Amino acid sequence: MIHTTDERDIEVERRFVPKAKDINDEIAWAQINKDVLRSMERPRMMYWVIFLASLALFSFGVYCEVRQYQSGLGMADLENPQVWGLYIATFIFWIGMSHSGTLLSAILHIMHADWRKPIYRFAEAMTTFSLMTAGLFVLVHLGRVWQFYYVVAYPNERWTWPNFNSPLVWDATAIGTYLTSSIVFLYFGMIPDLAICRDNAKGFRRKFYWLLSLGWQGTDRQWANFRVTYLTVACFLIPLAVSVHSIVATDFAVSQQPGWHITSFPPYFVAGALYSGCAAIITLFIILRYVFRFEEYMTMPILDKTCRLTFAIAMVWTYLNLIEYASVWYGSDPYAKETLIFRATGTYAPYWWAMNFLGSVVPFALAFKSLRNHIPTMMVVSLLLNLGMWLERFMIVTPTFAHGYYPWTWTGNWWPSWIQWGIVAGSFGWFTMLFMLFCKIFPAVSMYEVKEMVYHRFMARKARAS
Amino acid sequence: MSKAHTLALYSDFEEAGRAIQELKSANLQGFKMDDVILKSPIEHPELSEMLGSRPVYVQFFTLAGAVLGSSIGFTLIASAQANFLVQIRGGRPIVPLPPDLVITYELFILIGVFMTVLGCFIGWKLPGNRSPIYNTSISEDKVGILVKAEAQTIPQINEIFNRHQPLEIIGEQGR
Amino acid sequence: MSLSNLIKNWSSLRVRRPYEGQYKGKDYKWAMVIDLDACTGCNACTTACYAENNLPVVGKESFAKGQAMHWIRIERYWGPGDHMTEEFPQRGAQFLPMLCQQCEAAPCEVVCPVGATHHTPDGLNSQVYNRCIGSRYCSANCPYKVRYFNWWQYPERAWPNPLELQLNPDVTVRSKGVMEKCTFCVQRLTEAKNRARTENRLVADGEVTTACAQACPTSAITFGNLANEKSTVAKMWQAHQIKLASDVQEKDDTVRGYRIFEDLRTYPSIVYLEQVRDLEA
Repeated sequence: MIHTTDERDIEVERRFVPKAKDINDEIAWAQINKDVLRSMERPRMMYWVIFLASLALFSFGVYCEVRQYQSGLGMADLENPQVWGLYIATFIFWIGMSHSGTLLSAILHIMHADWRKPIYRFAEAMTTFSLMTAGLFVLVHLGRVWQFYYVVAYPNERWTWPNFNSPLVWDATAIGTYLTSSIVFLYFGMIPDLAICRDNAKGFRRKFYWLLSLGWQGTDRQWANFRVTYLTVACFLIPLAVSVHSIVATDFAVSQQPGWHITSFPPYFVAGALYSGCAAIITLFIILRYVFRFEEYMTMPILDKTCRLTFAIAMVWTYLNLIEYASVWYGSDPYAKETLIFRATGTYAPYWWAMNFLGSVVPFALAFKSLRNHIPTMMVVSLLLNLGMWLERFMIVTPTFAHGYYPWTWTGNWWPSWIQWGIVAGSFGWFTMLFMLFCKIFPAVSMYEVKEMVYHRFMARKARAS
Repeated sequence: MSKAHTLALYSDFEEAGRAIQELKSANLQGFKMDDVILKSPIEHPELSEMLGSRPVYVQFFTLAGAVLGSSIGFTLIASAQANFLVQIRGGRPIVPLPPDLVITYELFILIGVFMTVLGCFIGWKLPGNRSPIYNTSISEDKVGILVKAEAQTIPQINEIFNRHQPLEIIGEQGR
Repeated sequence: MSLSNLIKNWSSLRVRRPYEGQYKGKDYKWAMVIDLDACTGCNACTTACYAENNLPVVGKESFAKGQAMHWIRIERYWGPGDHMTEEFPQRGAQFLPMLCQQCEAAPCEVVCPVGATHHTPDGLNSQVYNRCIGSRYCSANCPYKVRYFNWWQYPERAWPNPLELQLNPDVTVRSKGVMEKCTFCVQRLTEAKNRARTENRLVADGEVTTACAQACPTSAITFGNLANEKSTVAKMWQAHQIKLASDVQEKDDTVRGYRIFEDLRTYPSIVYLEQVRDLEA
């Protein structure tokens, strides 16, 4: 029997399990509070630049929407059969973006992946705000938006209900559930941090945080209930997130259109969702790290891990994408095959090839450590990945309409009007504006969980040393 | 007999643990372990274990919510469909099971989440259960032990606290 | 009340349509036959439809964008037909009047989020304008693309004064943001049904017809009640061996009738008469 000592254990671990140090565990707890609270006071100049730019973009989107609202959807140059256009494509894009917040906070929370702790808060905020943006697109796209509440199952004397067979009603239910649950999850996980804000704020801000922190004092009873509840909600959120994007996929898979009626759509959509969400997390990571001076918390090893996660998901998406093409190609549905050929060779072929290149080839940049650790490169790559994922959604919606079942309706030259582009651009402004406001008003880094992270590392080191 | 409170702040968590142990074994008059409340910036299972078992009932709310959500969800949807005047659409049955199951699933999660959070709020005894003494340094990096006991026992408790190098001991009238 | 209704009628609530003999013994099932060999592509049906159903004329620019509102449209296909020659390629022109197929299992009905489109007891695929919120999912899922959306507020621009005086008072004028489509001239059907009911009888064959059938100079369009076995339409369906509730028709090679996209299981109510030619076989 070989006798091993603790020192040798440590030695072996150091040699064979090289762990990047996610965060400096010498950092004092009071310092964590100070750093994060400072982010809510005076960010860099860049914050205001981004905020005002997104506000301007949002205002332009509102202007476009007002024009469309007044004159009708003809402003968007939609037509028969191109009835959906960019609105639904961008709707899927935003819904997809929301999924990684859940992945990062709920799944990694259950798996006790410590490195999520400094970055999950903003990822969850991203979930919430991108869902809100997606919801806007449903409204923007409706012909009579003032009657949108017909989709809601509210009791009325005429016994008129929505059509529960329709995937759009499933969508409304699923997105409503997801938005509610993710707001609950985001807010609930923030309560201990709101108490910290309350303890350090003055004036009306103190009143505000006092109200929101629900009398949190960090008592043992509060912590015990908190832990169980947080874990349970996380467990609910994982299947919910998967169901939401599968349901969005059924908008297409349940319909009869060639190119949509594909069994593998739900997992394909879920993978695409996680993919674009992870890429967006990288983008926002880099922005927040700079704007709020979070270099101590949003460290390079964490960025490295996020990038590796993104790479893995990119490969899952690539696989499902190829499977979709292959099953259509070798299948016996001539209509679907025709649509596939149209995508690859028709009017929209440049976008199709660009989408495949951006979605499947560009992520290989994430496979190189030197690139992963180079922030400007990662910024560009993450934006390119999201562009690719947006093109994917565009490629799902537009060419199918252009080349459906009925040859008489085939069109090859449809292009959205500037009103559509304006509203799409405005949605990015709206999202960024809300997100930036959130990060200013609420702690964007989870203080108590970073403390836990530091504490656990400290305890582990102490246990090993003793 | 009137009850009084005292709060001791510790910067060393192990010392706080020892203080709790000593309180437990001291067997003081007019004082129960149930009246000891630990306040900490992060969760300390190793310290709260010493306080004895304090069960959490959130899971039962979750279970109730999940069952309620799915059963009520399905019944509401199906009976709404059965009563809708213009029922027949696309040749599908009037009460089609696959779509109903999708919505039932979402309601199962929604009500489940709501009930879980409600259970937690009940566990926190909201609204309005504030324990009387609090110090803002608890949300930073200190551990606090709050004790409720008979007024005459408080000095003895403070004595135990003092043996473990507390940062501060705060009574009801301030320090 | 609602729960007991659910439990009491469970089995009837679980029926799939269409089924064999669904309209046997029922009063009405409206259906149509269009003889493509008789169609000359003159567009009289389209014109009649515009007049009858208050369809807005959208103008050149919108038409070029594909925003036309023709509930019935004449589609032109250029060869390679039997008569197509190098010299006169126009001779290869074939026409197909396309209108809502009033499918028995309509894909559009399933996906409408608010139930604005549904199936009536007399077999029509109806559209409730007041309920429509304009999600356009029905159009997205329609394989025939015969649903038309009000992209603009047409009442403001399509009928400048005094043109609004020619509008049909029996048909509503649709506002922007709602979907519309061929109704089989439901206003005529309703009127005929009401008249028949006051006289305590059923609508007789030929008593009511759609505007397009009425206007067709070559009588290419036949409209009638399929539930009445003695009606012209029912006899034509029978002669061409088309069964309403079946998606694969077993029929002789000599008959001309077919329904479009039967393999999608939409069970359309319109039969087209045309020898479907496969030139390469």
